Amino acid sequence: MSGESINITRFLITISLLLFTAKALGELFTRIRQPAIMGEIIAGLILGPTVIGTFFPSFHQWLFPDGGIVTSIEGLITLAVVLLLLVSGLEVDLTIALRQGKTAILISSLGVIIPFSLGVVAVYAFPGLFEHNSSHPRMLFALFIGIAISISALPVIAKILMDIGIFRTEIGSVIISAAMFNDVIGWLIFSIILGNLGTAHNPFNFATTLILTLSFAFIAVVFLRKLINRIIPYIQNKISYPGGMLGFIFILGLLGAAFTQYIGIHAIFGSFIIGIAIGNSVHLKEEIRENINQFVTNLFAPLFFVSIGLRVNFWTHFDLPLVIIIMVLAFTGKVAGCGLGAYLGGMNKNDSLAVGFGMISTGAMGIILGLIALESGLITEKLYVALVIMAVTTSVSSAPLMNYFINRKKITFTGILRPELVFFTDFSTKEEAIRHLVDSTAAVHKLDKKDVLNDVLKRENESSTGIANYLALPHGRIKFNKPVAAAAINSRGIEFGALDGEKSRIIILLLTPKNKNEMQLKLLSEIGQKFRSQDISNEYLSAETPREFIKLLNRE
Amino acid sequence: MDIPFKRLGLAITFSPTGKALLKEAIRLKTLFNASLYLIHVGKRTAETEDHLSAVINEAGLSASGVNILWTRGEPGHAILASSKAAKIDLLIAGALEKENILKYYIGSVARKIMRDAECSALILKSPSDNPAGFKKFYISTDFSEESEYAIRKTYQFALLEAAQEFVIVRDYRIPGLASTVLDSGDIEDLEHARELWQSEEEEKMRIFIRELNLKGIKVTSFCLYGREGWRAGNFAKENNADIFALNVAAKKMKFIDRLFPHEAEYAFEKLPSNLLIIRD
Repeated sequence: MSGESINITRFLITISLLLFTAKALGELFTRIRQPAIMGEIIAGLILGPTVIGTFFPSFHQWLFPDGGIVTSIEGLITLAVVLLLLVSGLEVDLTIALRQGKTAILISSLGVIIPFSLGVVAVYAFPGLFEHNSSHPRMLFALFIGIAISISALPVIAKILMDIGIFRTEIGSVIISAAMFNDVIGWLIFSIILGNLGTAHNPFNFATTLILTLSFAFIAVVFLRKLINRIIPYIQNKISYPGGMLGFIFILGLLGAAFTQYIGIHAIFGSFIIGIAIGNSVHLKEEIRENINQFVTNLFAPLFFVSIGLRVNFWTHFDLPLVIIIMVLAFTGKVAGCGLGAYLGGMNKNDSLAVGFGMISTGAMGIILGLIALESGLITEKLYVALVIMAVTTSVSSAPLMNYFINRKKITFTGILRPELVFFTDFSTKEEAIRHLVDSTAAVHKLDKKDVLNDVLKRENESSTGIANYLALPHGRIKFNKPVAAAAINSRGIEFGALDGEKSRIIILLLTPKNKNEMQLKLLSEIGQKFRSQDISNEYLSAETPREFIKLLNRE
Repeated sequence: MDIPFKRLGLAITFSPTGKALLKEAIRLKTLFNASLYLIHVGKRTAETEDHLSAVINEAGLSASGVNILWTRGEPGHAILASSKAAKIDLLIAGALEKENILKYYIGSVARKIMRDAECSALILKSPSDNPAGFKKFYISTDFSEESEYAIRKTYQFALLEAAQEFVIVRDYRIPGLASTVLDSGDIEDLEHARELWQSEEEEKMRIFIRELNLKGIKVTSFCLYGREGWRAGNFAKENNADIFALNVAAKKMKFIDRLFPHEAEYAFEKLPSNLLIIRD
């Protein structure tokens, strides 16, 4: 067998081994409800200098003949990083980030400004603590640490929101938008820092690089985005699907990457920006997004994560004080910045803290930053190890910390119905019943009785609120900050014009805040669900006390 | 029957579509039993007066029977100012202007009206010399109170037209969703979550329509996953809607809205059909 053939064999075996170990440990971690990336990183530690390199040096030598990662694998990993950023960009929706308004903008900008400043000041004042070597200016080094602790990882955050079930809530949307915005600011600042590194391959001076970077981002996001939006329908309809579209995304992403690499920043910035430009197209099918995410997740992401541990011996470069300092900076900076942004944006203390902890994950983005800095000689192995540990710790601890602070009390009908507003009555007309419920609710919640009554009767006159299965559901929208409800269990049926022709015996009054239409729709639908059959309603009618009535409602 | 608009305004020019637009406006004037104001930007001379009278006569009205508002200045601005002064509640304009024999484009006046008018606006894509009325109404909703208002107005319009279809469309999107699979997410979990959200949207829509309590024309509804603003408009276009209606907040659009489209901007950019913009 020729030398070249052996090399190819070795390359293929190494890649399969890397993938196998990464996927196996990734799966294991998913089973124990931990992020797969942790397993993938540990796989790298096992295969790299930390474990195999220490205990089985000859096998390690065979796998990685240069002692590190061979050039061919290195190329593959660069590609993996570029693609990771490409798909990450695909999900950044600038429209949403801007539309979410003040709160999202405050969270994302303070979420960058505060940790960034904290990092810069700390590192600039005590460069020795962070292992700064004098070959790069101190300020540049400080700026890097600043950005490394202020970036956040959208996929990790999105997954956490999904897992704890708040993806589609107000707080969830604010966090997602802020994370998207944060990503853009973070990568932009980082690219500018990289442009300033003045590495040998950079053909331009700093000012030119800066202008080129900003113009590239602007042109791609504003003009190229529109052009892409016109081309996509053509590709999706005329060229084989989904191959044509996947090819288009990859080719454009790689070209963007090549461009930014050429102007002296880093390839990843180009693919990230191109990702944004493509992802904002209204024509891009959701299926394509998922396909491309799957492809990158299952092949390239594990390769990248496993490679983290291949570079450095984590054991010998583990520096506890440094890890602690980085961790403290990252946690305080991010939680303070994002939390303050949320608080100033009008959220309460607990929600603000939840946002702060929700945004701390630096995940893959933090690691990629560290890796680039390590490669360019800006940081030492010890700092790299500390950054990786920080990225993993923030990603793993985000969910439980957020869970602790978030107000998980979902607004439900049974949650807002208080026993003192459940009555056993004997009315003969619907007006009497409505008036009684309105009066009592207004007294308990200190509402304007007349206003509420007018509102409810106005709605009642538009169309009767008799539903079915003995339920009548008069309701209105009021000037109040939360929804309230009251119920009357009437000893005889009252004519409410119910759809099934039956008279109503359970009359529920629901009042929701004026500007919260969706909340009203959700509560109405929940109540409707709870009265879906006459049998169930008969059970409610058997209740003898308000608490028993609520308990029965809760059971359904 | 309730009348959705009482004072109609028509931005009238001597363009080739001028007469057709006027005919459409006259039809609507009769339909709504409303008053009609013609707004013309240009110098008032004996010649232009004659010209305008000729157009009005040709459309079947006498010039003495209509209110003509003469105004000067930058057309978009001037039309909006006159319309405001005359308390117009529906401003009608043609969408397309002709550049040469082959090329039409959405005119700057139409854009100005779509974006900045303080009242409701009806932008007609291809006004006809023999207006046949509108039969298919599509309207997008975000379940808000403003949208509810827009639906009621549009429904009154549809009732007067004895429309065949009245379709309420809700488009919604969950940004960042696909990226959850990047971090060890399962595509099945994602599908499941999306199905759940879809059924939630459909349930909300069902109750929303019940609450609207619209009587006369059957209301159908769709909840579609896709870019807000674009998806609903595109759906209307695919189904050959005669009118696509939407509610727009009565505030001035900023430059940023054009850079990163506002939901409504998608429809302004590329009209899915005739466009009815309802402002409260």
